[in-house]
Amino acid sequence: MPFRSLLSRVVLAALGACLVLFIVGPLLRLLFFATPETLGDALRDRELRDSIALTVFTASVATLIAALFGVPLAYLLARRNFPGRRLVQGLIELPVVVPHPVAGIALLLFLGRRSEVGGALAHLGLEFVSHVPGIVAAMLFVSAPILVSGAREAFRSVDPQLERVARTLGDTSWGAFRRVTLPLAGRGVLAGSMLAWSRSVSEFGSIVILTYNPKVASIYIFDRFTTFGLHAAVPAAVILLLVALAVLLMVRVLQPAEHQ
Amino acid sequence: MIRLENLHVRVGSFDLQDISLEVPKGGYALIIGPTGSGKTTLLEAVAGHARLRSGRVFMHDDEVTDLPPERRGLGFVYQQYHLFPHLSVRENIGYGIRRTRGDRDGFDPAARVAELAGLLAIEPLLERPVRGLSGGEQQRVALARALAPKPSILLLDEPFAAVDPATRQVLRRELRELHEREGITTLQVTHDFDEALRLGDLVAVLSEGRIAQSGTPEQVFRYPNSAFVARFVGTGNVIAGTVERAEPPNGAGPFRGRFTGGTLTLDVVAEREGPIHAVLRPEDIVLSLTHSRGSARNHMDGRVVRLERVGPVTLVHLDVGRPLIASLTTRSVEEMGLRSGVTVAVTVKATAILLV
Repeated sequence: MPFRSLLSRVVLAALGACLVLFIVGPLLRLLFFATPETLGDALRDRELRDSIALTVFTASVATLIAALFGVPLAYLLARRNFPGRRLVQGLIELPVVVPHPVAGIALLLFLGRRSEVGGALAHLGLEFVSHVPGIVAAMLFVSAPILVSGAREAFRSVDPQLERVARTLGDTSWGAFRRVTLPLAGRGVLAGSMLAWSRSVSEFGSIVILTYNPKVASIYIFDRFTTFGLHAAVPAAVILLLVALAVLLMVRVLQPAEHQ
Repeated sequence: MIRLENLHVRVGSFDLQDISLEVPKGGYALIIGPTGSGKTTLLEAVAGHARLRSGRVFMHDDEVTDLPPERRGLGFVYQQYHLFPHLSVRENIGYGIRRTRGDRDGFDPAARVAELAGLLAIEPLLERPVRGLSGGEQQRVALARALAPKPSILLLDEPFAAVDPATRQVLRRELRELHEREGITTLQVTHDFDEALRLGDLVAVLSEGRIAQSGTPEQVFRYPNSAFVARFVGTGNVIAGTVERAEPPNGAGPFRGRFTGGTLTLDVVAEREGPIHAVLRPEDIVLSLTHSRGSARNHMDGRVVRLERVGPVTLVHLDVGRPLIASLTTRSVEEMGLRSGVTVAVTVKATAILLV
């Protein structure tokens, strides 16, 4: 029996280790493929710097919009039982299963000048296709579900009775939310926002269809790869990878221990 | 003062209804009932958390039926305490103060927190986070937090359910003292009738969403109005059976009757015939070693099954063809030399048998 339990542990550990190595291996290979000189050269490249700045900016705008509309929705989904709640929950998660180029084409049809919505918005001066708002729209589409589900779980982890207690202690429902639920769920909401942000940074499939130029970092890397080859694409890829790792680290620090 | 008039609350498929109750100013009332009888729902309705389908709630002659919880001026201690995990003990206790009382004359929030911490002996905990407090400590903090804004009404939901018996006794005493000191009208929920006997001026027994009986604890205990209440409050032996008239009709009012329940036949004083429950209080059952035949008495032979000592009183479990419990002072049990296997004469006065 002890031998069998030892064996099963070894098998489980080996299986797990294979997958971890498969994820870590390529990333380490990429990190060490670049030299400090090539990284320095890449950072001096104005086009790369611009694309990184554009990526950070558009991802931040998309995350802010997603938070503005998504956090209240997440609270509703976590706390209120309204007709159609499950439907709304399903709809909001739809972008997760839609292939990204498909999302790009759908957005193109919806926001393009020839659609009613796109036409009306263009009339107001908001152009999407081949413009920066197109990048934001694509990022919002793919990242909003992540923010909403992260915030929803954060709210769900707060005992709803605490708000009731706060009410009997003189808080209005908004006061109870602000003084109890928000401080308790805040870290989880922030962690969900950062995951959504990094999802936006990594988006390629829908942006490439909606707004190829100006180039966000992922499209810049793709462009370097197809135009100049592997070596030209590596430094930019490494820089984007480092940004992603930094975000992941912050999310791990922010998330409450029981969620890790 | 709390007055409830014909409350009806529906939670899912459960109905709490026909709830009318008045707790006088400064009174201490207990709602008791088995799990699922609607006790917590009733408190939620008083607090304003549960929406009423009909009925009205008054506090100190003001109708609060439509007021949100934060405007009812009450304190609520939950069964699971629900302390705010992101705040220290001091911040928890002070949570409700600033909002409601901070700017009024002569009310110093810091002094109020210190006062309650002193009364409840939790001063050393004030700077601690609430994680890691014991059940009894959390209970004290929850109580202090509810009392801090000086509510005129306190609602308690099974406040002692999750603490050990020794702590429970201490907390009960402290709670009663605080109640006197603060002159606060209190409504507590419990499933423990013993608690009601010790704490309450008034008790209401809840069964399946309705008040089965209310009155002073002593009244309810001595004169339960139904077999359910008698069983629940532990009045004594509850026997199902029927009553027949044993004397010719003689106008209205009580008559001599004969109660038959299984193998047991008893002379009773009844007010109606038909199916009924007989309640025999343990203290009304007289045991002796020899029969002494008197009038209007029920005599039977019983065998002692076992003795259960409860402090100065001993419960004698008897077999009289069916189980029956009598209570005697432990001293008389010793003097009579009662032990299991002994046969005794069992006597119950007809007038001592309660028919419900």
